Amino acid sequence: MAGVRVIDLSQGISGPYAAKWLAGLGADVIKLEPPAGDVSRAAGPWPNAEPHPETSGLYLYLNTNKRSLTCNLDTSDGRAIAGQLCAAADIVIESNPAGYLDERGLGYDWLRQAKPAAVMVSVTPFGQTGPYAHLPSTEITLYALSGQMGVTGDPNREPLKNGGSQPSYQAGLHAFAATQTAYLGALRHGLGTHLDISAQETFASMLEYFASYTAQNGEEYRARMGNMVSAVWGIYPCLDGYAGMCILPRNYDRMAAATGIPELQQPPFNDPHQRLEHDDTLQAILYGWFAGKTRKQLHAAALEFGFPGGYVATVEDLVASDQNAHRDFLQHDDHPLAGPLDFPAHLWRAEHGWDRGRAPLLGQHNHEILVGELGYDPDDLARLRELDAI
Amino acid sequence: MADYATKPLDGIRVADLTMMWAGPYAAKLLADYGADVVKIEAPKQWDNIRTLFPPDQITEQWFNSGAYFQEFSRNKRGLSLDLKQPRGKELLGRLIAQSDVVIENYRTEVMDSLGLTEEWLRAQRPDLVIVSMAGFGKTGPESLSMGYGPIIEQMSGLASLSGYGDGIPFKSGISYGDPIAGIAAAAAAVTGLIRRHRTGQGMTVDLSQREIVTSLIGEAFALWSMNQRLQPHLGNRHEWMAPHNAYPCRGEDQWVAISVANDAQWAGLVAAMDDPAWAADEASADQASRWAHRDDLDERIAAWTQARTKEDVFAACRAHDVPCGPVWNSTDLLADEQLNARGYYEPIKDPDHAAWMTHGWVWRWTNSGPCILAAAPNFGQHTREILTELLGVDESELPALAQAGIIADAPVDPPIVSVL
Repeated sequence: MAGVRVIDLSQGISGPYAAKWLAGLGADVIKLEPPAGDVSRAAGPWPNAEPHPETSGLYLYLNTNKRSLTCNLDTSDGRAIAGQLCAAADIVIESNPAGYLDERGLGYDWLRQAKPAAVMVSVTPFGQTGPYAHLPSTEITLYALSGQMGVTGDPNREPLKNGGSQPSYQAGLHAFAATQTAYLGALRHGLGTHLDISAQETFASMLEYFASYTAQNGEEYRARMGNMVSAVWGIYPCLDGYAGMCILPRNYDRMAAATGIPELQQPPFNDPHQRLEHDDTLQAILYGWFAGKTRKQLHAAALEFGFPGGYVATVEDLVASDQNAHRDFLQHDDHPLAGPLDFPAHLWRAEHGWDRGRAPLLGQHNHEILVGELGYDPDDLARLRELDAI
Repeated sequence: MADYATKPLDGIRVADLTMMWAGPYAAKLLADYGADVVKIEAPKQWDNIRTLFPPDQITEQWFNSGAYFQEFSRNKRGLSLDLKQPRGKELLGRLIAQSDVVIENYRTEVMDSLGLTEEWLRAQRPDLVIVSMAGFGKTGPESLSMGYGPIIEQMSGLASLSGYGDGIPFKSGISYGDPIAGIAAAAAAVTGLIRRHRTGQGMTVDLSQREIVTSLIGEAFALWSMNQRLQPHLGNRHEWMAPHNAYPCRGEDQWVAISVANDAQWAGLVAAMDDPAWAADEASADQASRWAHRDDLDERIAAWTQARTKEDVFAACRAHDVPCGPVWNSTDLLADEQLNARGYYEPIKDPDHAAWMTHGWVWRWTNSGPCILAAAPNFGQHTREILTELLGVDESELPALAQAGIIADAPVDPPIVSVL
């Protein structure tokens, strides 16, 4: 993506995650931050839990390889700078409330006039239109409204939100794929587009057969199944943590052989048509097998015998992982303010490689961009600062 | 002249060797956005997704009718071809010569064992974009591990972050690693096409499904590398927001999620609850005290929600700008006001059911036409048309190909087994 110019007007997780990988692929991503900085600078985690806008782990992860320009879109000077940058960009990514950019003369109707081949990507909780367009939301309410929460957690308890900020992250991954697709379209056909990505819609599109089965057959399929979809498709406690297997009929015999338990290699357990009727007994046997082994032993057995099995890896495990080291998956940085950082560094391996630059300080590239590239006089910067434009 | 109805991938052809979920999800996205995706299945090596969660009634066409299969293979064409027979492989070569992308999600060693090495693929078409998406990638000591989505979620670190707070990690309700890897694989295919457009060169993608899911928990890596701390299980609670939980509503297994991020939202929630006397208490005066008293507040709020339907709680919260989401089940989701207002669902028609609704555009864009132009292909439905129109096979050869089991119009011996 070298030579491709991206203006990142987004904050938080979704938009910045999408723009992060464009930057990793070599695009010149200019992140326009409000003078107070992206909201993720206030999110942490921080070294020793001491809040500081330049050491928020969320910001530092999501903004690698970008340049930072402070720009206040509520001032006319700020809008002029943003307009100049967007009109020359190939891709504009934003996550503002629906209508926000239009009100400031920077929406897609303006952009398509200024540059018909430009791609604008709006990524928001519910999209640009519809009755929820301005509905306030957080990760947990989005998780609920996308149908994902209803199927997650213990069937005998309340539904469970999964870890981290998955609604925002998955929307960001979708936004990245959508941006690349639309940009390719612009290259091939000479015409850009406006992508309207809704986190609710992208998450709801990944519900497996749950929604489709209901639509097709007119009934709920099943609700939450917890960690045990069935005895051979679940997570079990083991000696040093938790491990799991996910066995389809064709994988069963190898798993049974790996346990070395003769009973499992005979009917009724080795017959897919009878197995479910004896699921509780099978579960009890497998509890016993898992309980006597470590996570690594169980994973080694899965590898040796060739069945789908693994363990619940922690971030500590992943930082120490031979597999991750072999694939050079993590990037290490000794950040001058935040200290040592180990982050995922690529989405895939390919000929192009991925840049591994650091996230910018707030406004780090103001001078470089305004004076060096947009032709402002160095004296203008003080004035713009005074007007709270940058 | 291009206009907004032109799809970004119009004119791109994808040879789709994927099975199950992650790969077909990626190829589905490419098909939705205009690519001619040719789904290739051998008569004896058909996509297992056909037999997972089969439709409610076993009919003559049941292997073409499952909701799972239909959702992931709409807008694709179906070609049956036995790649283990030389003639089948030779025909695949001709297809690849006319394709822009080959995508596969086999275990690392399978393509090579079929003789479909990178070298062979490139010999058919030098500037091909090849996307491999094995669970753990093509290289490294764990590259031979088998991973379906739930295993990927466990090995990625995500499952270690989810739990009620009693130490037990939890899986997501879906096979989370699958669609997540699928999105990234679609992005990889398109990135390869961008590269080819700009440089004339093809690209070979080695994507590890596990790495994609790991990329979605970046802040947990920051917490570890900065402070050597693992992110604790918070259940439905939040580090600083309170109240923040799932609350029971009237009816069986009915829930609503509510979260309050500031004083204004708290005032809104209090108003939504009709100003109960307890809300004037010091315990809820500011964010910090609400967080400190979150157990008490949760109990009070649950007493309010319990007497109401989740829809009524949602309406009351909406009226006062409080972040709230009823925990939709799949029936609710199909009726969701926002999704329907935006035309999210489109009809699809399989051989055994009346038309039913499934999601259309995942990435809404300036094109406003329908997304679903064709249901998933019946097994081998387009074999004849692809062989004769694209691959130069004479019509008269088709019976011999069928006789040899190289092509077929139904999968050979699919077992009727639901895994659950």
